[in-house]
Amino acid sequence: MNDFLLELGQNPQARRLIKSLGLPIPVPQVLRRSHSPYEERPLAERAVVVAGAGELGSVLGDTLSRAGANPHVVGDEAALEPWRDPGEAFGRPATLHAPGEPPEGLRADALVFDATGIGRPEELRTLYDFFHPWIGTLEKSGRVVVLGRPAGRRSRQAAAAASAALEGFTRSVAKEVGRQGATGNVVYVEPGAEERLPAVLRFLLSDRSAYVTTQPFFVTAAAKAADRRPLTRPLEGRVALVTGAARGIGAATAELMAQEGAHVVVLDRPADDGPASKVARAIGGSVLLVDVSDPEAPERIVSDLTERFGGVDVVVHNAGVTRDKTLRRMKPEHWDQAVDINLASVVRITDALLEGPLRAGGRIVMLSSIAGLAGNVGQTNYAASKSGIVGLVENLAPKTAERGITVNAVAPGFIETRLTAAMPVVIREAARRMSALGQGGLPEDVGQVITFLSTPGADGITGQVVRVCGGALVGK
Amino acid sequence: MAKSEVKKGKKAGAKKKAPKSGRRRAVVVGGVRTPFLKAFTGFTKMDTIALGDAATRALLERFEVPRQEIDAIVWGGVILPGTAPNVAREIALDLGLPHSAEGMTVTRACASGLQAVTLAAAAIERGEADVVIAGGSDSTSNAELKVPQKVVHTFAPLALGGKGSPMDYLAALSQLMPITDILPRAPKIAERTTGEVMGEAAERMARRHGVTREEQDDFAFRSHQRAAEAIGSGRFDQEVTPVETPDGRWIHTDGLVRGDTSVDKLAKLRPVFAKDGTVTAGNASPLTDGAAAVLLMSEDKARALGYTPLAAFRSWAYVGVDPADQLLMGPALAMPKALARAGMRLSDADLVDMHEAFAAQVLSVLRMLSSRAFARERLGTDEAVGDVDPASLNVHGGSVAIGHPFGATGARMVTTMANELSVADKETALLGICAAGGLGAGAVLERV
Repeated sequence: MNDFLLELGQNPQARRLIKSLGLPIPVPQVLRRSHSPYEERPLAERAVVVAGAGELGSVLGDTLSRAGANPHVVGDEAALEPWRDPGEAFGRPATLHAPGEPPEGLRADALVFDATGIGRPEELRTLYDFFHPWIGTLEKSGRVVVLGRPAGRRSRQAAAAASAALEGFTRSVAKEVGRQGATGNVVYVEPGAEERLPAVLRFLLSDRSAYVTTQPFFVTAAAKAADRRPLTRPLEGRVALVTGAARGIGAATAELMAQEGAHVVVLDRPADDGPASKVARAIGGSVLLVDVSDPEAPERIVSDLTERFGGVDVVVHNAGVTRDKTLRRMKPEHWDQAVDINLASVVRITDALLEGPLRAGGRIVMLSSIAGLAGNVGQTNYAASKSGIVGLVENLAPKTAERGITVNAVAPGFIETRLTAAMPVVIREAARRMSALGQGGLPEDVGQVITFLSTPGADGITGQVVRVCGGALVGK
Repeated sequence: MAKSEVKKGKKAGAKKKAPKSGRRRAVVVGGVRTPFLKAFTGFTKMDTIALGDAATRALLERFEVPRQEIDAIVWGGVILPGTAPNVAREIALDLGLPHSAEGMTVTRACASGLQAVTLAAAAIERGEADVVIAGGSDSTSNAELKVPQKVVHTFAPLALGGKGSPMDYLAALSQLMPITDILPRAPKIAERTTGEVMGEAAERMARRHGVTREEQDDFAFRSHQRAAEAIGSGRFDQEVTPVETPDGRWIHTDGLVRGDTSVDKLAKLRPVFAKDGTVTAGNASPLTDGAAAVLLMSEDKARALGYTPLAAFRSWAYVGVDPADQLLMGPALAMPKALARAGMRLSDADLVDMHEAFAAQVLSVLRMLSSRAFARERLGTDEAVGDVDPASLNVHGGSVAIGHPFGATGARMVTTMANELSVADKETALLGICAAGGLGAGAVLERV
């Protein structure tokens, strides 16, 4: 499990030595992570530099001032306007910087560019003009966020081209800053969905999104809006079902959700009674011992949730298995097990929950996989099941939108778990390093994304696949 | 001031407001405080109990309080003596009050004094008591040095268990390394959760609200001017009692007020909490020793005993904010809340009295009160709370000039404002206090 290079990288002397000797060793940066519950001001005292003359100025001004950031605005006097009132209300006056070279000594915790005003490829130059001088100020574990309008929603082809260009740009920036533990993501905000942007920004700019990078997000008004979007304890009063929650990503997710106030139902196989109970006890949750592939599982889960809690608000389909063999060697039961547990049972259980206990405003998160998206030798069964999840999510999201239920998938990359610890060392090393951040993620990194997608504030995100892969080379 | 004088103290022309029918009302009959002295000067040999004794004794004498009528003492303090933390009870016993005069001690950081007074008012209005002495004191000079818990945990089992041989002590001693771990620590006004020293918090607030050094020094200068005037004119004689120290010296007046200071002098002082900072010893409240006591009664009782009440509380409010954000902004929320509870607007308050922890903090809070954006986001109202007229703010100076014995300040402010309402013929006064831990207090006094 332990990552030698990551540890070595924590030693400044060793870091300097490797650098000065010119050794071709990419030393990764330890990522800054959040271990506390959702804060009112997740960006407290962080220097956030904002540029770009877009349409989201007032959302940015309000969101960042409220989140406790120290805003720096690059532009002219007029660019300061949306920052005045929130700055005054929260005691976070914005500092104005003229375009061009940043002032000596200023280090940025985040660089945010509002590109919603870009309507032609020629105007993409404004991206270069801002990032070229400022990218060097980005701190370790910093954040780059580029905001745009979705290409599909733009009528003129020049605008669509410019919008789509943001993704390639941001992905590349993310890969350039990855070695310093920094991330880059692009957020496409549909016109009319601006009020749903703040929670996404708070998440992406905070330490909770440590392993999310090179990812496009689409904020839409597709799902019925949440009544409230609480900033702290966002899951209070909610019942969350997490399958496969006895260990790994499931257990980490259960803990994080409980920390935000959810009552978590820890579901796992009857054989995992011990670890499942341990998790449930630690977080004050409940245990439900069911094998998800059991044909009677949907009915049992529905009746249990209905009887004990009168319904459920959040469902996380995390239970999954690998049965890796090249196609020629794969036995039929290997195929069946992987496809049934990873995909068919998810379809069955989701159908049953949507018929009854899943309440309005609910959240469904399914686990896909980078391997599922990219395909992998020896994983025909697994990849089939995990890419099947994508189809399920895309199909369900519009159908449940009216009830305010969002459906999303999370696709983890290389995560340090029991599963990956058992990999041959060479493959494991390669997998770790083949990402922008140059290291594996932790179960909690995936848990943070699942938890975020489960909050009321994530009502702008539905029908999407969010990679938690540290910017892996492979994947969609 | 003799009781007879107090009785006929009511001025002609003052409007007498009838209390709402049927509601028991607590009234402020009067208050007295000791002079406030810089820590480690004249009051060094007097601990917080001795200071409390001095203020309470003077209160009893000036107002000729019938001893048997006293139901309780409620006292506020921040640095409480480790061996006798219930200062209120110690005062009652020291002064030989009837044993039935019970006592409690409360702490709410710098709002402790006001807390004691409002608790007393609440108890009276609930019918639990008729006559209560409330106030507070602190002696920074007698802050106890803290022996590290590591030392306590190492030696206490031996010392209290009774069986320790010299070798055991030697063995225990060897565990207490390094030596810096076991040296007694000086008390520090730092937040327990954030470690931030209060001056740093003031410094940050000044920066965030664009409060300049010049503004702070101007404010401090005015505080000194006004306090010096109140002393010079004899206005403070009404509420300050001379105190005899254990070595037989008499202290008659406040020791920190500098009528001869100037903006130029203040501008020469160096910032204390940041290299390029703005908060100096001159525009911050100093460490102070002192005590203040207030006499509260039910209105009926006061009149039955022949007193002319000065004031009553129309409302009060206590709030909490995140200490990691703007530690000392509490009054910006508490004062509007108290106003709302009193059914008033800021413009209805004839006088405003704010505890001056730092000039920077008062000025930052004033900025917030003036801000419409602040009102919308933080108070949920459409209009700004309003601008405080400098002429009606801290008319006799504040903590920057007078000093700030933590537990005493609230009682000092209540006394000064209760007196001022009748002296200046005003109707209402708004009080605001910031306190450690991100706390804030607000209260509205009305003339009776």
